[in-house]
Amino acid sequence: MSVHSDDYAFLKTTIELSTSSLPIEEKIKQILQSTTDHFHPDRSLHIRPEAILKGGFLSRVAEKREALWVDEKRPFQEEAILVQEKDLVCPTFACLPLSEEPSRSGIFYIGFSKSRTFSSAEMDLLLLLAKELGSAIQNDHLLKATEKTLSDLKAIHRMGQVVTSTLNLEELLAHIVHTGLKILKAQGGVLRIGQEDSEELRVRYSIGSYHQNPLDERIAKKVFLSRTPLSLTPETEEKPFSSLLCAPLFSKERGIGTLAFYDKQSDSSRFDERDLQLLLTMANQMSCAIENAITYHEISSMALDHERRVRQLSILWELNKALLTTVNFERIVHMTLTAITIGDGLGFNRAMLFLVDEKDHTLKGLMAIGPNSAEEAGEIWSTLSQRKGNPSELIAQIEPSMNNPSRLNAMVKEIQIPLEHEQCILSRTVLEGRPFNVKLPHGQEEWVQTRCERGCALVSEVGCYVSEHLSQNPKVYAFATIPLWGKGKVIGVILVDNLYNQNPITDEDIRYLTMFSNQAGLAIENAMLYRNLEEVHQELKETQSFLVHQEKMAALGELSTSIAHEIRNPIVSIGGFARRLDRALPDDAPEKRYTRTIVKEVERIENILSHILTYTHEAAPSFKPLDLREVMEDSLSMISEGFRNGGVQLSRDFSEQIPTVKGDYYQLKQAFFNLINNAYESMKGEGTLSIRIYPQSINGASFVKVEVEDMGGGIDPEALHHIFNPFYTTKDNRLGLGLPIIHKIVTSHQGKIEVNNHPGEGVTFILTLPAQEEKEK
Amino acid sequence: MKRVLVVDDEESIRLLYKEELEEEGYAVEVARDGLEALEQLPLFKPDIVTLDIKMPRLNGIETLKRIREIERRLPIIMCSAYGEFKQDLTTWASDAYVVKCADLTELKNTIRRLLGLP
Repeated sequence: MSVHSDDYAFLKTTIELSTSSLPIEEKIKQILQSTTDHFHPDRSLHIRPEAILKGGFLSRVAEKREALWVDEKRPFQEEAILVQEKDLVCPTFACLPLSEEPSRSGIFYIGFSKSRTFSSAEMDLLLLLAKELGSAIQNDHLLKATEKTLSDLKAIHRMGQVVTSTLNLEELLAHIVHTGLKILKAQGGVLRIGQEDSEELRVRYSIGSYHQNPLDERIAKKVFLSRTPLSLTPETEEKPFSSLLCAPLFSKERGIGTLAFYDKQSDSSRFDERDLQLLLTMANQMSCAIENAITYHEISSMALDHERRVRQLSILWELNKALLTTVNFERIVHMTLTAITIGDGLGFNRAMLFLVDEKDHTLKGLMAIGPNSAEEAGEIWSTLSQRKGNPSELIAQIEPSMNNPSRLNAMVKEIQIPLEHEQCILSRTVLEGRPFNVKLPHGQEEWVQTRCERGCALVSEVGCYVSEHLSQNPKVYAFATIPLWGKGKVIGVILVDNLYNQNPITDEDIRYLTMFSNQAGLAIENAMLYRNLEEVHQELKETQSFLVHQEKMAALGELSTSIAHEIRNPIVSIGGFARRLDRALPDDAPEKRYTRTIVKEVERIENILSHILTYTHEAAPSFKPLDLREVMEDSLSMISEGFRNGGVQLSRDFSEQIPTVKGDYYQLKQAFFNLINNAYESMKGEGTLSIRIYPQSINGASFVKVEVEDMGGGIDPEALHHIFNPFYTTKDNRLGLGLPIIHKIVTSHQGKIEVNNHPGEGVTFILTLPAQEEKEK
Repeated sequence: MKRVLVVDDEESIRLLYKEELEEEGYAVEVARDGLEALEQLPLFKPDIVTLDIKMPRLNGIETLKRIREIERRLPIIMCSAYGEFKQDLTTWASDAYVVKCADLTELKNTIRRLLGLP
């Protein structure tokens, strides 16, 4: 086929135009222009697919996908012509469908007002033109579709980047809404997450104020429950939005929440199908990410929880280890309270312990630990924070000072609460065996309501008691009490507060404290039992030694009584005849010295014998009210001879008012005599012997004290422990049976005897005898 | 002359008491135990009796009872090395109680008092 050079140029231009980078509209325009230049038709048109109306001949051309040629040789045979199409029908024209899909590319039309005939070359050329035009349009379609897909992919990629960028839930949710907003070019967005245990949806992130609209929540709920996306474009003007997209977020059958976007940024346009698809794709993608983040969030909070529990358990273990180091009651109580207040332990500001007294049915304050003031608290905390080591070591290092000088401790020791008191939180803690967490009233109103008649900050009287005493400002006093369990019963109450740093006491704190105090309770109870055991043991030991002593006494009594009696008869004979002999001898006889000696020594033996018999045989004493000053004077008269002759000075210091003492005259006289005689003999004729008698009141009971002070050089410290033991013998002549007898007499008068020994100087014996009570007189 | 019956199982005591009391101007007779004392009673007819408690055959407390069955008003002085019977009901029927002592002043004074002598 020969090709006309004009035709060639036309084709070249057409191909160049169709493959150029011009926008499609410009391409079509220039190609149509080039066609007009070449064929000189009256009209040449590109009929867009949307302009092909149904029922017209154009639509039939499109359907048949065949070119329609009308000229002199090929008359127009169509009958059904739409009004809009009438213009196109002229003597010569052609309609060529563009590409295989004219419904997408349209139809090329060329018309001539004169009658003529299309040559076959013209027809070929026009068909080629239509093909070129069609493929240009189709290419453009493909390009646009590709661009769109690319941009969607980019958006999805961006979303993908966003959702994998972080595991922090809050951050992720914010990212999602912001990115979605950008991709969809929306004005606002709302993200809701469903609650685990209810069907409630909670707004987790929002841009704009659309979430305030109740309709928004209703839509979200519907979408969430039905798991069906919703695209809404309300018709009426009053709606608070003009366009809405809402997609459910769910993964693996589990609903997560909803994501909604409102209103395109350009007012006119509305969300289209593509936007919805994009949102669904995003929603799908982000559901997984959100679920992951939620799971991560849950796991990390679980891990935190576990970590906290492990820490608590290890601290509990440490504290228990410390508690196991001792059975000393005071120490255990001190350790317990320290563990509650130490920062590495339970970390309360102050802790107080009250113990149940079952006998009195009361709750008694035992000990308190905590700073006296906020300044002191600060100092303690800064010191403690510098210390290193396990809590068990720290606590074990702390020496309990029983004279804990703190005001708080002194105050708590004073507190006594009857256990019947149902209004009292401390006693309720014991009676109900459960913890109380008394929180701060939230507002002034509540504060006024909880004031009781006594003007207390809290509902209860003890609350009032506690707050009056334990807080400078009862209005801001929050505290917690927990029962201290022993074996199967409440043995006390621990009260804790955070007076200085005002940290709220949480239920978690209470649980932790309860765990610890359960251990501490057992330790305290054990220590109490141990202490009781020790006391009983001590009593038993004393009783035992008393019994042994008694037995010794009884043995001594039996032995010495029989010996004394056996000796007495021969002594009486010896002494009696010696006296006779002495009397028979003339005063100047040299033998007189011998008889005198015998008489004197026999007297001594007889004295010893009567001491033994007095000590071992208790003649039934007769108790009468006695004035000890008189008894003392009578005793003194027995040896006043000695004071007159020798150089020993006697000093009496008797109070004017002395209560009477109920006692046996002879026994007390003997006791006083022995005391004075011992003192007198120890002084070897020089110095002053002082005797003092005065009343004394001890714990409300009345006593009379008798002091005998000598200057006889004191007692050998080694012998001091044995001076009341009748079996102990020493060269010191004062330590015969005299002191054991005094001891026995004083003890039988419910009195006691003390010794103030100053070796090298002298010794003071102090007798304390109970005065006769007023009502007995 | 007042008559004193000294009842004691110890020979040295009997001798001492006899000599000392005779020196005081009394007629003194001795008995070694309660049975001898009861035999002596109607023969010697004492004005006063000193009675030891711990004696063989018949002790002082038993003897005191027997004497009181016969002689209600005869003064009897319990005279013992034991102090513990002093406030005892067993000797309540006696007139005095003197713990034995080398110094006989107390015994002599008691005898004089019971006999109503100056």
